[in-house]
Amino acid sequence: MSKVVGIDLGTTNSLVAFVGKNGPFVIRDASGDGLVPSVVSLGRDDVVYVGREAERRLLTDPLRTVYSIKRFMGRGADDVRDEASLFPFRLHGETGGVLRVGLGDRELTPPEISAFILRELKWRAEKSFREQGEFDFEVDRAVITVPAYFNDAQRTATRDAGRIAGLEVLRIINEPTAASLAYGLDQRKAGTIAVYDFGGGTFDISILRVEDGVFQVLATHGDTHLGGDDIDQLLVALVLGEMGAGASADPRRLQAIRHAVIQAKWDLSERDDTEICVANPEAAGAGAVLFRRRLSREEFERIIRPVVDRTLEPCRQALADAGLDASQIDEAVLVGGSTRIPLVRRSVQDLFGRPPHAELNPDEVVAVGAAIQANIMVSGSRDMLLLDVTPLSLGIETMGGAMSKIILRNSTIPASGTEMFTTFVDNQTAVDIHVLQGERELVSDNRSLARFKLRGIPPMPAGLPRIQVRFQIDANGILSVSARELRTAIEQTIEVKPSYGLTDEEVERMLLESFEHAEADVEARVLIEARNEAGTVVRATERSLRNPDLAAAAETDLAPGELAAIESALADLASAMKSSDRATLEAKTKVLNDVTRHLAEVMMNRGVRAALAGKNVDGV
Amino acid sequence: MSSDIRTLTLQSCRHCGAGAPTEVHFCPQCDRILTLTRHGDYFSFFGLPRKLTIDLADLEQRFRRLSRQFHPDYFYTATVPERLASLERASYLNDAYRVLKQPLDRAEYLLKIEGLPTVGRHQDANELPAGVLEEVFALSEELDDIRAAREAGAAPEALSARIDAARRPVEDRAARQEAQLELLFQRWDKQLDEEAPPDVRRATLESLRSLLQERSYIANLIAAANREGGQS
Repeated sequence: MSKVVGIDLGTTNSLVAFVGKNGPFVIRDASGDGLVPSVVSLGRDDVVYVGREAERRLLTDPLRTVYSIKRFMGRGADDVRDEASLFPFRLHGETGGVLRVGLGDRELTPPEISAFILRELKWRAEKSFREQGEFDFEVDRAVITVPAYFNDAQRTATRDAGRIAGLEVLRIINEPTAASLAYGLDQRKAGTIAVYDFGGGTFDISILRVEDGVFQVLATHGDTHLGGDDIDQLLVALVLGEMGAGASADPRRLQAIRHAVIQAKWDLSERDDTEICVANPEAAGAGAVLFRRRLSREEFERIIRPVVDRTLEPCRQALADAGLDASQIDEAVLVGGSTRIPLVRRSVQDLFGRPPHAELNPDEVVAVGAAIQANIMVSGSRDMLLLDVTPLSLGIETMGGAMSKIILRNSTIPASGTEMFTTFVDNQTAVDIHVLQGERELVSDNRSLARFKLRGIPPMPAGLPRIQVRFQIDANGILSVSARELRTAIEQTIEVKPSYGLTDEEVERMLLESFEHAEADVEARVLIEARNEAGTVVRATERSLRNPDLAAAAETDLAPGELAAIESALADLASAMKSSDRATLEAKTKVLNDVTRHLAEVMMNRGVRAALAGKNVDGV
Repeated sequence: MSSDIRTLTLQSCRHCGAGAPTEVHFCPQCDRILTLTRHGDYFSFFGLPRKLTIDLADLEQRFRRLSRQFHPDYFYTATVPERLASLERASYLNDAYRVLKQPLDRAEYLLKIEGLPTVGRHQDANELPAGVLEEVFALSEELDDIRAAREAGAAPEALSARIDAARRPVEDRAARQEAQLELLFQRWDKQLDEEAPPDVRRATLESLRSLLQERSYIANLIAAANREGGQS
């Protein structure tokens, strides 16, 4: 059996986790890092970089680097007009059409960009299983999390991203619910929990009842465009304002500012006072500072309070929908990187009147929950069960542009609803139906999901056909529609035209394209790994060469000319790293590795002798 | 759909062809989940009689137990027909639970499956009994006056006192309706236990329907008064 993983596809960072023999764990890289920054960059050599490497390229090549793509999932070109100016990358799309993002000279949809991140996670997991000596290391199925408040279009876009990455998406589950599964491992007793999930780009609150291992969501609320990004933008605006006019024009400078304010934000979770220090991206080296400013936690909190306050209203709404008072919540749980901010913690504590739980790493808890859900689905164990709800009401357009609700928000999923339709003119054989999602009265204030045409209605006098349309929301929170004419029992054909998403044909085509690129991608990946390996050897060698003890060592322990050979191999490898020739790169790495082995031994022995000598001195 | 016919109707297993009573969810012969074709109603799906008084803790427990049996998460590796059956049964279960746990939705649902016309949301005031009608008109008129006074710039404190006074008789009426509803619930349940003749039970349902009708009208009116109160 191939492996089934849990994936947290985040706005800022993504993670992959797995349930092994000893329980769930986050899959990490060699350096122990579990986070893959959700950043995708297209190099000049047409290599696609994902994660840390792409994140570095935000500063060096911002126009070819895309971040926060989750904000654009399932959205149309019209939706993002206002936001487009905040991002250095290009956003395209015709009015009413699918949104496209410029990645270098390529134009890709948000699901395609997300698929690069998912593929990176898939590779990471497969590499880890291979290294553990697993015979069957392939990862082709996953549970992927989304914000609870994601609508149908955003969920469908996430599932499409999985398919484009070559993953069968077993289940789309909500992030706060996943987090509750991860916490629920140790605390099976009955209780009511509030999960406050404040991430990089989205905010969710879910109220759950846990009993007999059943995690039942009572109500959920949120904002899919509220997160740490908004805090960063306030700080960027502050810096831009103080730097003066024209500062925003340059994307590299903008990224340097963003980088600096994020660092300051992190600092202020640990300290009362920090400094925003913007490096000049044009001038490398120390002292090249573009802007410097002190920032106290007090001032920081004053600036970001409006953003934090925006999370409180959805919390109150969710409590009201669950029919509960804040005092009836037994536990509050914090999820998402933004909950590290002390002001956020205090606000949650004030709201629920108790200190919130934050024992599990707020960055990792969602991925762990997704892995647990994946395990539930393939293991056959029925100890635990997630019962989630649909966050938004589903309805159809009626006469006069009003919305008639068919499935109400906070209904446990899967859920269904039926609606009867008839004809308005004699012998009418088709009826148009417009499906909407949202809570507002007017069609224009809600999210358009799809337009359907019911065809093949038998010709009858007006008003006689009785067409029953059935709306089914599955356990992923995704809608499907079927219809039949009751008098003749004829099943209707339904043409689905998603208002913003991709058609099945488009997803198939993108999947095929990704196969075509797969060989090139694998080659690119191997090249990146070879470069990383070379980089490690180069840095280690440079460290040895800088060692103050080197001159003494060269005199007593090294052969004549040995240092010169090392320096020449080092220069060779450094120049090979600039090319894309993997074979040469690997050969030169081996040469440098071999030629420095003796030096490494010598330096280590000297180090040990020095340490022992030191110990003797201490002992005297 | 009388209860006599219901017990005779069978569903059949698509896998092995065995027949099964409508109340069961799994084939008695091959244990596979049954496709949701012929089934009873929300009550029988939960294994409950058609009673209006329901022990909510018991309902919740049944809901959790059935969720554990049907949920699509547990049928991921099953055949396509079983996966579909699981989706349909889980979906029906959730819909049924949502209706049964709310007393008013439960009562309206009972009327529907017992063959009575549905309770309208915006019905004609002329259908209401005379006493109710008077109170309704009085409150409506007062609300109109208050709206006019507010538009003319009257002090909000004075207006909210007027609203409170005006809606008191209607709110008292609403409280009496709740008590009547409770009594009708008990009467129906008792008649069901005692297997009272169909026309007697029918009469109870008719009373229940007019009370629900009246209640919905009054509830709309109170909501309107609250909106007016909230604005002032």
